[in-house]
Amino acid sequence: MRGLRQVTAVELKLIMRDPMSAFFALAFPALMLAVKMRSGRPLPGGLPAIDATVPMLSVFVIGLAGLVVLPATLAQYRERRVLKRLRATPASSTMLFGSQWIAHMLLAVLGTALLIVIGLAFFGLAAPANPGGVVLAWVLGALSLSSIGLLLGALVPSGRGATVIGLSLFFPMVFLSGAMIPRETMSGSMRAIGDLTPMAPAVQAIRDGWAGDATSPLTLGVMVAISVIAGGVAVKAFRW
Amino acid sequence: MTVIEIDGLRKSYKTHEAVRGVSLKVEKGEIFGIAGPNGAGKTTVVECATGLRRPDGGTLRVLGLDPRSDRRALLQRVGVQLQEAALPDAIKVEEALRMYASFYDKPADWRELMDEWGLADRRRAGFASLSGGWKQRLFIALALVGDPEVVFLDELTTGLDPSARRTTWGLIRAMRERGVTVVLVTHFMDEAEALCDRIAIIDEGRVAAEGTPSRLIIEGRSDSLENAYFALTGKEMA
Ligand SMILES: Nc1ncnc2c1ncn2[C@@H]1O[C@H](COP(=O)(O)OP(=O)(O)O)[C@@H](O)[C@H]1O
Ligand SMILES: [Mg+2]
Repeated sequence: MRGLRQVTAVELKLIMRDPMSAFFALAFPALMLAVKMRSGRPLPGGLPAIDATVPMLSVFVIGLAGLVVLPATLAQYRERRVLKRLRATPASSTMLFGSQWIAHMLLAVLGTALLIVIGLAFFGLAAPANPGGVVLAWVLGALSLSSIGLLLGALVPSGRGATVIGLSLFFPMVFLSGAMIPRETMSGSMRAIGDLTPMAPAVQAIRDGWAGDATSPLTLGVMVAISVIAGGVAVKAFRW
Repeated sequence: MTVIEIDGLRKSYKTHEAVRGVSLKVEKGEIFGIAGPNGAGKTTVVECATGLRRPDGGTLRVLGLDPRSDRRALLQRVGVQLQEAALPDAIKVEEALRMYASFYDKPADWRELMDEWGLADRRRAGFASLSGGWKQRLFIALALVGDPEVVFLDELTTGLDPSARRTTWGLIRAMRERGVTVVLVTHFMDEAEALCDRIAIIDEGRVAAEGTPSRLIIEGRSDSLENAYFALTGKEMA
């Protein structure tokens, strides 16, 4: 337990010391929120823009932490032999990867909290209608996207390579899945493509929970399935 | 008391036979040198002895434990400085020591280690900002943070300037004073001669010669270990 706490705390500090990850996970989504709300007309259907935008951008933050920063960290640690040095200690691999995962998810928690605080303070964000549903959707979204990130981190040999691949998965997904552009304003064909990305169920479920709509068990099930499959393959394929 | 017992160790990478039957014994409290040219197989021996690689053949016992099947129990009692290893660029000296200390059941006091190895003034320096000599000191401190009985040091002084090298030699002798058994891997024969109680010279995956530095020098009819090495391995000086 002491090890888990120590590694998590150190790793979170390291992430925050990296100007790129801190900027893109914290400052950039907050800026995007402010920019979007300058012209924030209600969505077709009447939902205030802020009540859709905060849940949407929280998926942007999860995706950045889980799909870009996490695999880049792991691959860089392998490339630079940081993992090898850790391997020469009695620390368990479960503890080490658990701490990495928790630290990166804490980054996403911070980014999400910042969006919520800004939304409440400046833009009249409504409290979530179903807080339990939002938390469940957020956690499943984080698990599913970061297990894909873990798989990338397991397979890609260099930190730079993992960053490039992570970003080239991340950007199309955030544009198409409704994490940056509300699904209501996208064309039918864009939405259809976006629905095929693993980010779409997270956007859907978090927005449903916030608005108090029922989330289909299928949406939650897809996220569980992605987590189990990608996470399982990652653990099997991982090289130190 | 024998602390490390390696018998007939073999290890190949794909088709290349890196270690071809190495046997050696290390006694408690000594500085044991594994010397030899680059590519001789020294690092492979260390990585097998610390459970980082699976040997193809032979038996290994370190502190009576099997490095593969008792890896975690062994690593509670063994410190390692790897030839190829690093820390994250932004980690600070004290963070690295505190974190590594948390991996052990009975760690040394990391603050004391930090003082002892002269790192206290640089406690808040990031790893990437340290010079080679300070990085090596941090690696030694990390190898000692679990309060180990045996320490493996692989090419500790490569890349250091002569004065930093001499300082490091003093630090390694200080480890022996504390009763720690040291396995020192080096391709510098002068370093092996100056520091080690006994040495195994490894060449092309085999033990070419073994003994105290003075004995190896006599065997090689030479005036220094370096010259004895050329005589004993039949190698020409470049
Ligand atoms: N991971 C590896 N894959 C393939 N060959 C390797 C690997 N590690 C070492 N070797 C080869 O095995 C031989 C012994 O290497 P090593 O044990 O590192 O020697 P030393 O530490 O004495 O320089 C060298 O020829 C080296 O190129
Ligand atoms: Mg080596």
